[in-house]
This record gives sequence, C-alpha cells and structure tokens, in this order.
Amino acid sequence: MSRLVKKSPSVCTDLPLDNADIYNKLSLLRQLLASCFGPTGRLKQVHNNIGGHVVTTSTSSVLFPAISSSQPLVNLIKTSIHNHVSRFSDCGLFAAGLCLSLIEHAQQSGLAANVSIRINKHLLGLCVSYLQREDCGCKVKLDFCSSQSLITLARSVISSKPACVLTEQEMLHISRLAVQAFLLTLPCNNPGIVMLGKTVSAYVEGHPVLNSAVFPGLLLDVTGDFCLNKEDNLNPSPLSVVVFSTSLAGDLCELGEGLIEVPAGVDSDLQILEQLLELGKQVVTDEVKLFACQKVIHPVLQQYLRSEGVIVIERLGAYLMEPLIQLTGAQPVATLHTSLPAKAYGEVSEISVRQFGSKTLLHLRPSGESAICTMVLCHRNETMLSELKVVCQKTEHVLRLTIRDPAALLGGGCTETHLAAYIRHKSNEVSEPAAVLGCSHSEYHLCMEGFCCSLESVAKALEHSGGNSLIDLTHAHHWTLPADMTKGDIEDSLGFCGCGLVGSSPSRKWTYINTKYTAFSPASLSVDPAVRPRVLDSFTAKLNALQVAVETANLALDVRYIIQDVN
Amino acid sequence: MYNFRNKNNVYLHTVGGDRANYISTTEHRGSPGSRIRRKASYFELWFCRCCQSSIFTSSQAMLTRSGTRILTALRLEHPVARMVVDCVRKHSKATGDGSKTFLLLLASLLRMIHAAAWKEPAVSRTYSSREAAEAATARRLADELLAFALEELDDVISAGVLPYGLWVSWEDLTAKTPPPAHTSNSTCVQKLLVSFFHTRLGQTHSDFISDLTCELLRNCRLKRDLLPSALQFVNDNFPALHTPVSGFPISCSHLIEGQVIHRDFAVSFAHTDHQPVKAVVFTQQLQLKLHDEGVVLKVGSGGKMMENKSIVEFSAWSEKSLECVFAKLQCLGVSVLLSAVKQSAAVLALAAQAHMCVVECISEDELSLFAQLSGTTPVSHCWRIEPVNVAFLTFCRPILLGVHRYVHVAFHDLEERTMVKPCSVVVCGPGEGQTDQYACAFQDAIRMLLTTCKPTDVTVTTVLSDRRTRLHTDDHSDQTMPTSFQQCVLETGCALPAGGTFECLLSHALLQHGRRCSVSHILANALLNVPRLIYSQSPRHFLHIQTRILSFILNQSHTFSPLCKQGSATDLGHSAGAGAGDVPPVDSKLSLTCCRETGVSLKAVMLNSGLDSLGCKYRLLLAVLQCVSSLLRVDTMLYTHTALNTQSCSRASVSWEGSEDEAEH
Repeated sequence: MSRLVKKSPSVCTDLPLDNADIYNKLSLLRQLLASCFGPTGRLKQVHNNIGGHVVTTSTSSVLFPAISSSQPLVNLIKTSIHNHVSRFSDCGLFAAGLCLSLIEHAQQSGLAANVSIRINKHLLGLCVSYLQREDCGCKVKLDFCSSQSLITLARSVISSKPACVLTEQEMLHISRLAVQAFLLTLPCNNPGIVMLGKTVSAYVEGHPVLNSAVFPGLLLDVTGDFCLNKEDNLNPSPLSVVVFSTSLAGDLCELGEGLIEVPAGVDSDLQILEQLLELGKQVVTDEVKLFACQKVIHPVLQQYLRSEGVIVIERLGAYLMEPLIQLTGAQPVATLHTSLPAKAYGEVSEISVRQFGSKTLLHLRPSGESAICTMVLCHRNETMLSELKVVCQKTEHVLRLTIRDPAALLGGGCTETHLAAYIRHKSNEVSEPAAVLGCSHSEYHLCMEGFCCSLESVAKALEHSGGNSLIDLTHAHHWTLPADMTKGDIEDSLGFCGCGLVGSSPSRKWTYINTKYTAFSPASLSVDPAVRPRVLDSFTAKLNALQVAVETANLALDVRYIIQDVN
Repeated sequence: MYNFRNKNNVYLHTVGGDRANYISTTEHRGSPGSRIRRKASYFELWFCRCCQSSIFTSSQAMLTRSGTRILTALRLEHPVARMVVDCVRKHSKATGDGSKTFLLLLASLLRMIHAAAWKEPAVSRTYSSREAAEAATARRLADELLAFALEELDDVISAGVLPYGLWVSWEDLTAKTPPPAHTSNSTCVQKLLVSFFHTRLGQTHSDFISDLTCELLRNCRLKRDLLPSALQFVNDNFPALHTPVSGFPISCSHLIEGQVIHRDFAVSFAHTDHQPVKAVVFTQQLQLKLHDEGVVLKVGSGGKMMENKSIVEFSAWSEKSLECVFAKLQCLGVSVLLSAVKQSAAVLALAAQAHMCVVECISEDELSLFAQLSGTTPVSHCWRIEPVNVAFLTFCRPILLGVHRYVHVAFHDLEERTMVKPCSVVVCGPGEGQTDQYACAFQDAIRMLLTTCKPTDVTVTTVLSDRRTRLHTDDHSDQTMPTSFQQCVLETGCALPAGGTFECLLSHALLQHGRRCSVSHILANALLNVPRLIYSQSPRHFLHIQTRILSFILNQSHTFSPLCKQGSATDLGHSAGAGAGDVPPVDSKLSLTCCRETGVSLKAVMLNSGLDSLGCKYRLLLAVLQCVSSLLRVDTMLYTHTALNTQSCSRASVSWEGSEDEAEH
C-alpha cells in the first residue's frame, strides 16, 4: 500500500508562448542552433549525465537527438525539424533557425495568432511559387555534363560541417570522392526501371584524410588468413561465388520446438556435419572460389574449404548481403540437403587484398556492370571520423536528391536575402493580399516584415566572428564585412558575395541587414558561364526545409494549451 | 433516507486499483447532483476556449483539437467525469463529431433541469429533505426529457428544422469535371467537410484536406449511386488505407490508387513483363515444422526403416516438401507471396531462386482488405494451393514513402468483383503529432459523412413518413415536394448552416410545440445556450443571429417548395455566417453584399458559412439526453478503500437495487 501514490492531475499551460519560461527556452534553442550554423559555426560538445558517449558536433542530425527538453513545445519543434533532416539530410539548421525566428517575430509583433498564421502561409506560398519558377533569381540548373557543379554542391555540404576538421585540400578531396561514389552507383546501361546502387563504407582511423579512396566493387573487412596467393590475384577468368543466407554451423533451427530423442550411440551432430561436408565437396567440384555466408560456418567445414583453396567469408550480416548479391549476381542459398543449382552461383572478376593500416580488406571486383562501390574513409581520430561518416552519408543523399530535381540554390545566405527582397517587393507591388487574407494592411505589413527579417536573420547567422552582414541593392545577395573594417574601404574588403557569383564594384550599393531599405525587384544575374557559384545548397532539401519551418512555426503559434501528464 | 424504489445506480469507485476486495470504509460525500453540475460547468468553461485551440500533451506528444481525444488524454479520475467521458467517446465513435457540443449541451441541460427542479417545490411529502426532493424531480425531468426526445423530437425537427435544411447532394462527387458554379448546392459535401475540418484542424489547411477527402471518395466509388458503400468501405478499412509520412509539409499529402501494404519486400524481384502479376496469401509458415512443442521425435542412425531415420533425413524431407510447394506455385505462375508471418530463410532463398517476391509480416487488417479486393482467400495449408487462392494484380512494386519502402499493389479486373475502388491516402506532416491529428480528423470526417448520408435510426424514417402524410393533408399546395422527406433524409441527408442555426431553429420550434409540454421548454433553453457560448466573446453577435433567424422563420413560414428551401437555407447561412467566430469581419461584410445580389452569388454566400449535418446533430441530442438521464439516476457515490493483495469480489461499478447496506445512509 505504501507504494501507492495518488495520481496527480495533468498540468495545463494556457497560451504557452506567452509563458516567459517557455519563450526563453525557445530563444535559447535558437541561439544555440544559430551558433552552429555554417562553415565557421561553433562546435557543441554534448555529454549526458549517465555517462554516455561525448559527442562533438555542429550537425543538426547529430545535435537534435542528443539534446532533450522537458518542455513539450520545444520537443514538438525539435521533432519536426529532425524529421525533415532525416528525410532530406540537409538544411536542418536553416529550418530550425527560420522556424524559431518566425515564432519570435510573431510574438513580438503582438498580432493575433490566427492572423500571423494566415499571413505566414500566404508568404510561404509566394516563396514556393517563386522558387519553382524557371526564371527564379536564386536557382541554378545543375549541369550533369560536368562534375563541377556536383562537386560544388558536395563541397558546400561538407564545408558546412566544421567538426570534420578538414583543410581546404582535404575538403576538395572528400567532395570529389563523394561525387565519384555517387556517379558509380548510377547504373549505366539499364533501360526501364533503374535501381540505384549502393555505396558501402569502410572506416580507417589514424590515417591521413587524403588516403581516403573510392573503389568500384566491394571491400569486405575480414580477419584471418584467406589462402590468397599471388597467382589467384592475377587470375583473369571470372571466379565462381556462392552465397549462403542460412547458418552453416550445424544447428537445425527450422525443425521445431519439440524434443528430439536420440538413441545411445547415434551422434546426430556428426550426421549433420557429414551433410555439411557433402555440401562442401559439391562446392569444391563446382570450382567455387569464394564461399560467403551471412551467418556462422562450422569450423570443420571452413577448414575443409580453405584446404581446398576456397576463400571463406562468414558472418557477413544482413547489411552486406544485399550489395554482395547485387555485385556477384548470385542467388542466396538456404537449403542444405539438395544439390546446389547452377544458377545460384555468381561470379566476380577479381579478388585481391588491400591493406589500410591495420585493416585488411578483401576487394571483390564485379565481372560485369555493377552499381556497387566502396568508400574507404580515413581520418586522424575517432571523433572526427564519426563526423566525417555522417557528413559523407548526408552528401550522398543530397547528391541523390539532384536526380529528381536537377537544380540547386545559391548558398552563403544569398538565397535568403534574395527571397526577403523579393517578398518585400512583391508585397509593395500588390496591395490586395491584405483584403483577401482578411486582415488590415498594417497587420499584413508587420507580419511580412517579421517574415523577411526571419529569413535575413538566418543569413546573418552564418557570421560568427563579429562581422557585419550586408545586402546589395541590385541582386539582393548576402555579403559579409569583417569586424575590423571601417566604412571607408567597404568595396575593397567585400570581394565577393556569399555564393561567389557577384563581385564587388564601385557602382554597387549596400545596406546593412535589418536596416530599412526601399523595396526593389532583385535583378537576376546575367548568365556568365565563366563565373560559377562557389557555394550551392540542395534545392529539394531547402524547399522542404522552408515549408516545414513555416508550418512548424504556424503550428507552434496555434498551440493554445499544453496538457502534461505528470504521473 | 433514499428511496430505494427508484432503482438508482450507485457507483462504487475504488481507490487504488480496479479490483475491490471488501468495502472497508464507505464514505458518503453528499448528493452527487451538485458535483455533477460542477464538473460539467468546468468542462463547459474549458471547451468554450478549446473551440479555437490546439492541444498538446506530453505523455505521447499528441496534438489535437478533437474534444474526445482531449477528454481521454486528461485521464480524469472522478467517476462522474469518467462516465461523461465514456458517453462522449461512444457518441463520437459513432458519428465522428460533436464532442464539444455534447459537453456544452450537457452542462446547460443539467443547469436547466436543476433550476426547474429547484423552482418546483417538494410536491410529495415522502422525501425527508428538500435536497432529496429536488434530486427526485430532476430525475423525473430527465426521464421525461428522454421520453419526449424519443417520441416527439423527430416530429418537431421535421416540422421546424427540416424545411430550412439543404439536401446534401452527392452528385458533385461523381462528376469528373467541377460542378457548374450556378447550382448553389453543388459543393454541399465540400462545405460540410470544410467546416468540419475547420473545427478539427484549424483554418489553414481545411480547404486542402477537404478537397483531398472529396477526391478520395470520388476515386473510391465505381458506380454513380454507391456513395454510402464507398464511405462504409473507407471507414471500415481506414487503418489500412492511410499511410502517415512525417518530415514533409502537409501540402504534400496525396492519393495513391491501389493498396499500399505497409511492409517492405523480404525478397524483391523486378518483373518486367506486363502480364497480370499473380499473388498468393499465406497465413502460416510455408516450411512445415517437423514437430511442435510437446512432441517427441525419435531419430536413429539412418537407414531404410522408419524408426531408423536420421535427423538429417528429417530435415531433408522438410526441404523437399518445401520445394514441392514452390514447384506447385511456379506451376500456377505465382510470382508474389504475401505472408502474415515471418518465413524461414529457406523459403526466402527458394523464392529468390524462383524469381518470386516475398512480403512478410503483413498485418491482419491489410490482408483482409487484400482478400476483399482481390476476391481470393488465403491459403489454409501450404499443400493445398488452389487456383482460387491466386489473386491477379496489375502490378506489385516498391513505393518509397518518407523513409519507408512499402509494397504498392493494384488489382486486376476490379470492376467485376467489388463495388469500390481502393485508394490510399498518404498523410504528410512535419511531425508524427500532425500526421496523427490529420489522420484522425480524416477518419472522423468519413464517419460524419456516413452519419449524414444514412441515419440508421428507424424512428426517424417512420415518424417522418407520418409527418409527410400529415403535411399533405394540411397543405394542399405541397404537390411539388421532392418525393418525400423520408427519402431525402435517408438517401442524401440534410445539412444546415453551421454556427448555431440548428440550435436556434430547434429551440424556436420547441417553444412553439411546448405550449402543451413543459420539458420542451427546458430543452429549448438549454439548446439556445450552445450558440450563446460559442459566441461568448461577442454576445452581440449571438443576439444578431438569433433575431435574424427568428425573423426569417416568421417571414418564410409555411413555404415548402424545394426552391424556397434552397433560398432559405442560404439566407440562414448568411445570417449565421455573419457571426461565425473565426470569420473575420471583412468576410461577413462581403457576404452581406453578395447576399443582396440574389441568385447568382448564392454560392459565394454559402462558401463563407459552413454546413453542419442534421443527422449528426439529431444523434447528438439523443446521446446527450441519454447521458443526462443516466447521470441523474446516480444517487450516491461510495468511495471504497481496498487492500490490494487479497482476492477481489466486486467490480468497480455496481448496479444495485435496494440493497440493505444502503440503509445506514
């Protein structure tokens, strides 16, 4: 009876955003995430109080699961953004920054929540339709004829994760590898439904980053001796492969749960082993060179096969089975009592051993066309390597997104400032939206200003060293002025805008971000093939991030009560 | 002393667990009447504000505007509260709508009844205290109200409310092209849905989601006049027909024709030929277990004799039989295996060798939907695979929704077998909370439409048909009336402009009727309280709407031609729309001007005010009255303290009739 505690009633918070405590928490979260943003973002070290792994990162996909809050509203926003990141792998911090900034501005403006929501939705519609237009000023078409723009895209993703600690040269090397791996996974001569291949990764710690490489085929991390002689390496003919998906350890797990009664003197284990060796004999007569099994192989069978010159790989795991089957064209076998059908055998063109530091990797080359490749990533220590791992996965995903929509947005904050200028211009141009949305003109203007400021504040968050953010008054791109510069030599010190498309010239005019400027229509850039943007963002990811950010902000503004079950 | 003849329910609420052992102490906490009233007022207060708010609870991060879900999430302890919540849950499970109005109406009814009981002095001297007398009167009033509702309410509604309703036409759903703009009732279903989603999801996405719902219904029905069956189909199979996908904006939600099986391929093979794909459903393991638990298998050293078989031979036999199954499958041309359970590695490997696709661990709901749509039955035993078990699919391919890869199938020759065409809804949202909220609202909307289009109450039909004959005798100019009321209500359903129109109309009709009957006054006043509370922020609006509706009734009385009905509903819609809580003042001005230009712009007016289903409202009224009468029958609440570790003998709530134990009170 003493353990019985009376249930306490749920705690109800009315208008959570008016609550100072919750508001402060949201604003803290905004500052925290903004400080991680961009190539010069500050790293965060997260360690929990129960002695978990210490994480050093500035990546949203690592940061979001690591931080937790007792405040449901914070968690609501966090999960929304995290869901976006897990689907699109990019622009998580952009979405979080925009969302939290929108909430803050809507609260400061003092407008009724439903008015803010309606206007935000309208402005989002403006942005989305502009971004999807052909003549959008901040969108560039990706050219698959040259790998240059893909490398730029990959480099922008990699450079925005400072926790990888890469030099300029290393960054370029990894970007090239990422693009190379992406291109290798595209099947070439396959009409009809195209199945993308797979990049398998292997990680080597303690080696310089520049040793990282991409290989066509599969590199399997196997320990033990392979009985691999020099002659075998040079063998040019296709080598036969068999792949088992069931355990070859001699257990008959499929039999059932009942009891088995064995008379004395009968060794059923031996009987099963004999059966396994039968199988081994057939494999040897069929001249199989590689014997792979997803699960465990009986040591006696292994010994027998090795003695016959067959390379044995056991405990592959379900993850590697799929690429191995795809690479070799073998069909997985799970029957032990029937002779192996000829069509179950696959083949590889070459098997060789590659040494990466302490790691020995078995390299299988496909005999024909195959979309499987392996990326070996090296880094100096474990923390940096784990961040690099995440970054390479993200980059692969971002590159894959370009297949569906071959476009990219200008990076370096230029898209944000450009969009803000476009919305200001569009809102001045037409005066009717206020009537359609059912709000007064001043309300519309106030909310629109909040929306634009939120966009600009995300661009501004790219700068962490006390510099100033500027916007030019022709193309509305984003510029950064280092902290120690005086107003006089502004043109010389600016150089190029955030994305690197616009250079500074004496005729250009700038204004500080968050100062009022007369609305103008941001001019599209004249197409000059010689000038390439230096920073590109994924179009698909950013478009979704924009939508998710505004919808999440609207949702948070719409929450009237929070009921917490405190039992 | 309590009157035991009254068959009161007494609630035994045990403290500390569901099982009660013995009643160690029973405390008597006064008359529950006051508590019930207090509890109800608390809800009332709460829900007035809830009408415009989203709620979020932290235990499972739920996001909702649905009254039922809020009430359930509150985990109320008080037995009366739990009883009310149960009633609300039952009601909204049936109709999908009206949980907030339920509570508002309940609270105001209770208040009215108690006010009436208080005014009525103790008529009989059998009661010892005034309180007891009051309780008895309240109980009597509640019972009378219920009896009145069951017997006469349909009559009153058909006379006083039905004439002003709009017949919801389901025709616009069948039309492939958008309906012509000048027919004012062309988008009735849409309006019904928009106002429903407005209350459940907020204004921003209500239009989008209601369009999606309409499209779903349009896609699901194969023949013109089978909307109820399409609705019933969607309602029954909604869990299998929708896929929540988080991480995308809501505007990415869309429909997919065919069925989505929420599992990935265990073995996949891309079929390139375009013949119909043949599929078979299994509910058991394909590889036979040699012996189950409790069976002893005797093995020997191997040999010809049965008792000498070695274990290897047994397992070889098992594999052989599996190969026979696959030979049979290949003979039938089957290339897709759908399984309710996990299959062994040997099955998967053999399937891969035979170029078959395998999908494992499919839920029961999805398999039964598949069986229904394909017109086949699952294989009962793996040795008896018949051609009747083979389903013909147009295709069976992987589909990527969010992070998950699912299996997408479409059925061959669907028209010949079923009345409906399957269509899956992909519900997108930034987080799981939202997708959940949207999916719930979606299903409730389907329930609401189902209630609207086919009221199941037999009483309604009979009384309405009576009414019709009476109308005919009363009014001879009534020849042009559409076939009959009964048919209209049954086949198409009736809708009224949202925002308190139903309550105003019915309370007026009740007051007219109530010259003979006193309980109808109570009901009328209680009903009027609902719009009063909805417009509690601006009482002026309420008065405005009420006067408009009343003056409208006076002007339009005894006009029954269908055209007039259309007009009247539109005008009513306008008057209600002018005060609707969320509609900004600009809109109402707009509708005012539109209304003055009669005829052409009727549709514009109707678009501004939503619609409510009459069927739902009627069922709501009955449910509330039933709840009130059962609440007021509760006489005493006994709190029992129990010891936990002994055996239980009584339930949490005991219905008890004149027991001796009561005497001490």
